[in-house]
Amino acid sequence: MGLPDSTQDLSSEMDVDAFRRIFPLRFFERHLSESLRPDARPLGKARDTIVNLGLVSTADGSALAKIGSTTMLAAIRMEVMTPSTDSPDEGCIAIEFHMPPICSPTVRPGRPAEAAPVISKRLSDTILSSGMIDLKELCLVSGKAAWMSYLDIYCLDADGSLFDAALLSAVAAFSNLKIPVVALNDNGRIVAINGEGEEESNASKKEAVNKEKRKLTLKNVPSSLTCILHKSYILADPTAEEESIMDTLVTVVLDSSDQMVSFYKSGGNVLAYSSAIKSCVELAKKRGKELKQILGEMDID
Amino acid sequence: MAAKQGAAATTYSPKPLVRTRPPIFKDSDLDWTRPDGRGFHQCRPALLQTGAVSSASGSAYAEFGNTKVIVSVFGPRESKKAMSYSDVGRLNCDVTYTTFASTGTDHKEFSSMLHKALEGVIMMESFPKTTVDVFALVLESGGSDLPVVISCASLALADAGIMMYDLITAVSVSCIGKSLMIDPVTEEEGCEDGSFTMTCMPSRYEITQLTITGEWTTPNINEAMQLCLDACSKLGEIMRDCLKQAASASEELT
Repeated sequence: MGLPDSTQDLSSEMDVDAFRRIFPLRFFERHLSESLRPDARPLGKARDTIVNLGLVSTADGSALAKIGSTTMLAAIRMEVMTPSTDSPDEGCIAIEFHMPPICSPTVRPGRPAEAAPVISKRLSDTILSSGMIDLKELCLVSGKAAWMSYLDIYCLDADGSLFDAALLSAVAAFSNLKIPVVALNDNGRIVAINGEGEEESNASKKEAVNKEKRKLTLKNVPSSLTCILHKSYILADPTAEEESIMDTLVTVVLDSSDQMVSFYKSGGNVLAYSSAIKSCVELAKKRGKELKQILGEMDID
Repeated sequence: MAAKQGAAATTYSPKPLVRTRPPIFKDSDLDWTRPDGRGFHQCRPALLQTGAVSSASGSAYAEFGNTKVIVSVFGPRESKKAMSYSDVGRLNCDVTYTTFASTGTDHKEFSSMLHKALEGVIMMESFPKTTVDVFALVLESGGSDLPVVISCASLALADAGIMMYDLITAVSVSCIGKSLMIDPVTEEEGCEDGSFTMTCMPSRYEITQLTITGEWTTPNINEAMQLCLDACSKLGEIMRDCLKQAASASEELT
């Protein structure tokens, strides 16, 4: 390629970049009319998704989920608690979503992101109401001791569809969870047994309370898809840039048998007609199958 | 956000039955291997990667054994409105731990120590009136957290294109009994008699921060200093290679 050609190429590229910054909406609409998005995806397609299990050795279960460049790290720590009197044979799950300042230029230390508590609440509502985890499985000794599982999800890189990625990482972390083996000591407290048998004499004296219940059975695994509604277009799995330009977001959460767990539309200036909602649910169903496959590939271990 | 708020307060983590930790080693057994099987003067393998966070101006991920850290750099961007005019740029550092990173305390002092370690190396006059934010998140704490954060931060600053006099590298040494151990893990840090952390610019052979705590003899300090300087320059080479690789990879893309 000759020299003058390449400089011309550069200048036209600069123009596109400037156009994108100055008229973001027109830039996007121009793409949408061609049924394409700036990152070369078709409208209804989600970004590449990767899940990795067991990255944090200090936690009892952990997972890293990546959707495009949105990255979530979820980890679970198990602690023992005394169950409340009205549900003596049930454990408890506490879910917290964090957005540390590293994840986005809009978050500064000491000034937490507005989105974090909203996502935190929606996540715990979704996970607890989906019936994915039977809280009775977290019981150790009825009325005396049960597991409290602290699930913390950290957003490492925020590039749109935070809820989807957070839910995916949470589900994967639960599938990775290995409950520690514990025994009841003489004082009625629960103590850990080290599997490696450092304290042979002590460990053999105590009977493990939960020898066979090391893993939770996950049923009705929820999966979610966020879509942007803009005019008559539906964009699945938006990036942060898309979310900042077009503000009508719809999140559909379905469980593994395609039953709706939650539906969330947070205002915005586009009204969602029933036909649009139906298409969103259809897209979520398709996405659910993809995610099932991604999670299924890892469950082999 | 607990499912049942009332029950949350009374939890405890199940402790092993007996917690008698034997001293890691005594003065007599000099051929003792370290908990992870390293030699005394051997650092953990370092995994470094730039560009971990897409929305940051620059970022880096560092993994030294079990210590895993992400650092993002934002800016230079407009200083806060409340700040007065300044001819030189400002540096703002923050180090946080994830809740599952460690069982111990979170180190509140690390933010200011990171700031002190970095401010000598950054050309502040190259971005007047603005602030560069350096945010670190410790994903998992496996010992020598602060040195890893500092080295990772300098990599992230380089990735962001912030002008620096040199890369900055940090290494720590623990003193247990008469032995010196470089790049200690959490277990070793827990029973150390003294700790020595050095932050330096390897090419310029200058030290920006030196922290010595605990019990040290002068010959030990001299030895630790030599060990650290040597390790810092080697780490500097690894970091330089990492940056070169990232640069050539991005060249191939365009």
